Amino acid sequence: MNLSPVKNVYLPKIAVLDRVVDEIAEVKTFYWRFVDPEEQAAFRKFRPGQFAQVSLFGAGEFPASLPPSPTEEETFFTVRTVGSCTAALHQLKPGDKFAVRGPYGNGFPMEEYYGKNLVFVAGGIGLIPLRSCIIYALAHREKYKRIQIFLGSKTPRDLMYRDNLREWEKSAGVECHLTVDRAADGWTGNVGVVGSLFKKPGVQVAVDNTVAFVCGPPIMFRFVIKDLKALGFQDKNIVSTLERYMKCGVGKCGHCCIGVAYVCVDGPVFTYEQIQKLGEDI
Amino acid sequence: MKARILDSTDVLKIVDLLQQQGCEVFAPFGGRGRDTCYDKVTDQNRDQIQIHLPNPYYPPKRFIFPHIERLMKVQRSDGGIQIEPTYREPKRAIFGIRSCDVAGIWHLDRFFLGRDFRDIYYDKRRKNMFLVNVVCTDPARDIGEECFCVCADTGPAARDHFDLQLMDLGGGEFMAVAGTPAGEALFSAPFFRKGTGAHVARRRAILGEVRKSFKPSTTSWFSAAIRHVSAGRIQEKTWEEIGNRCLECGGCTYVCPACTCFTVSDRQIGPDEVERVRIWDACALGGFTRMAGGHNPRRAVHDRRNRRFFRKLSHYFIQRELSMACVGCGRCAAVCHGDIGMPSIVEMIRRETAEVDKHEPVAR
Repeated sequence: MNLSPVKNVYLPKIAVLDRVVDEIAEVKTFYWRFVDPEEQAAFRKFRPGQFAQVSLFGAGEFPASLPPSPTEEETFFTVRTVGSCTAALHQLKPGDKFAVRGPYGNGFPMEEYYGKNLVFVAGGIGLIPLRSCIIYALAHREKYKRIQIFLGSKTPRDLMYRDNLREWEKSAGVECHLTVDRAADGWTGNVGVVGSLFKKPGVQVAVDNTVAFVCGPPIMFRFVIKDLKALGFQDKNIVSTLERYMKCGVGKCGHCCIGVAYVCVDGPVFTYEQIQKLGEDI
Repeated sequence: MKARILDSTDVLKIVDLLQQQGCEVFAPFGGRGRDTCYDKVTDQNRDQIQIHLPNPYYPPKRFIFPHIERLMKVQRSDGGIQIEPTYREPKRAIFGIRSCDVAGIWHLDRFFLGRDFRDIYYDKRRKNMFLVNVVCTDPARDIGEECFCVCADTGPAARDHFDLQLMDLGGGEFMAVAGTPAGEALFSAPFFRKGTGAHVARRRAILGEVRKSFKPSTTSWFSAAIRHVSAGRIQEKTWEEIGNRCLECGGCTYVCPACTCFTVSDRQIGPDEVERVRIWDACALGGFTRMAGGHNPRRAVHDRRNRRFFRKLSHYFIQRELSMACVGCGRCAAVCHGDIGMPSIVEMIRRETAEVDKHEPVAR
């Protein structure tokens, strides 16, 4: 048995909100930092794909992906208001205090992917966790081969992280393809589901020596997996990050279990090969 | 392990000793009919403590992992927040805990104190807990229709994880076995005396007899059920049949000595004060996996029943904790209105396999 002193893993640390940026309807990005600089430094060791537990006292606690890359200076969450906790976060003003604990979860093994092509496929707010990996990969550009981004959203208005998108579209080191389900506002780009981008003339998806990151709503996930497999991707080279109702984040409360895995400690990042072996539907 | 002999008239003196050491002692008491419960021992009820009685349905795990427990108190003032964790570490003893429940607490130990993240609230309570196990030896009073500790390998006499174990040898004598140095320290009391080889022989003979007094039960197929669940061989229709009988009351999890799931909730306790509490939760309940926004990956009731028995019987989890989340107390069988307690599940799995095997013989 582990004999080192027991720390209180449920105790969040106080954070202060610096500024809030509107992304798309119901989605905002919250820039924050810990009040205690030591806590901040410890937290900043997070890896892409990890998450944190955010406390809004009175409303509760919820798990939130970490969209920043550790290579960036600022720490932030991008959160859609869906329930009472996220709504409470959306009420906060710069200078308000809340609390955070983490980082938790396994994260994406970005070092294992050195020397490979990276294909990112995101649908809607599925870009939030993948943003961290994309920025990380671009900050270590020489370690990776081709980097391709395929991003789908409902309408042009639902495209988030627009500054990043513009940058990626212009950058020579990355191929960025966007699509929307319904065109509006003078959209001249592709219209259709994200998988339709793979077959677009001039697009050649890297398959050999490639890792595909897939994140989005369940229906999009199912179809993209089908498309990727048709292109020749193996299950072990497709990675995703799962989301579940969670209370503790440390493998104790039991809510996030899928089959044999606790999403909070064994995940949230799983390969598609692992997902199929969990023994329960995702 | 050291053992001593004491007279049955002196057994409750152990309760007195523990109280003198500053322990709050909880012991089982009889109610009307089958009703029994653990309660705090006071000067008034001390003589009503029962050694032989049906195991209370409300498990003693709550003295270490309470039904509802405050984790922290949060105060707001002048735009700031103060978070203060609430630790409770009362010096406590459970007198008369059955062997199955000792195994249940051991399972909680493995779960809450094992692996990377350890639970400080559980740790603090557990460190100050003293367990006096009583071996079930009276077939008429101790052993119920639903008991299957023999199949779960947790009883009738716990082998470990208690501080002190008491066993009724008959003829006005009890044997006390020390499981820890703290338990052994009690042997300095004058009412303990050394035993003889005859006492050991009596213990062995009694245990041999007690093992035979368990009702013939379907749970003798327990280990095979574990094998079938682990191999994923259970058919969907069996889970559906089980799900159809579940009333989604969550009773099985509340009486289970090995269930660990909890939910966390904030509640207002003053104008600027909030407390964060954790409360036992149950995978039988529909909201257990429901996410904000309404998406629920485990919507169907049979998915949730599947979950409970997979968690308890799958070899993966037994290996993960090196302990099994079913200890054979039989409480779920006693409280379930739909008769899908563990023994029935084992029987349904056995029946299904028999059916499948008839159509597709194993040896071909």
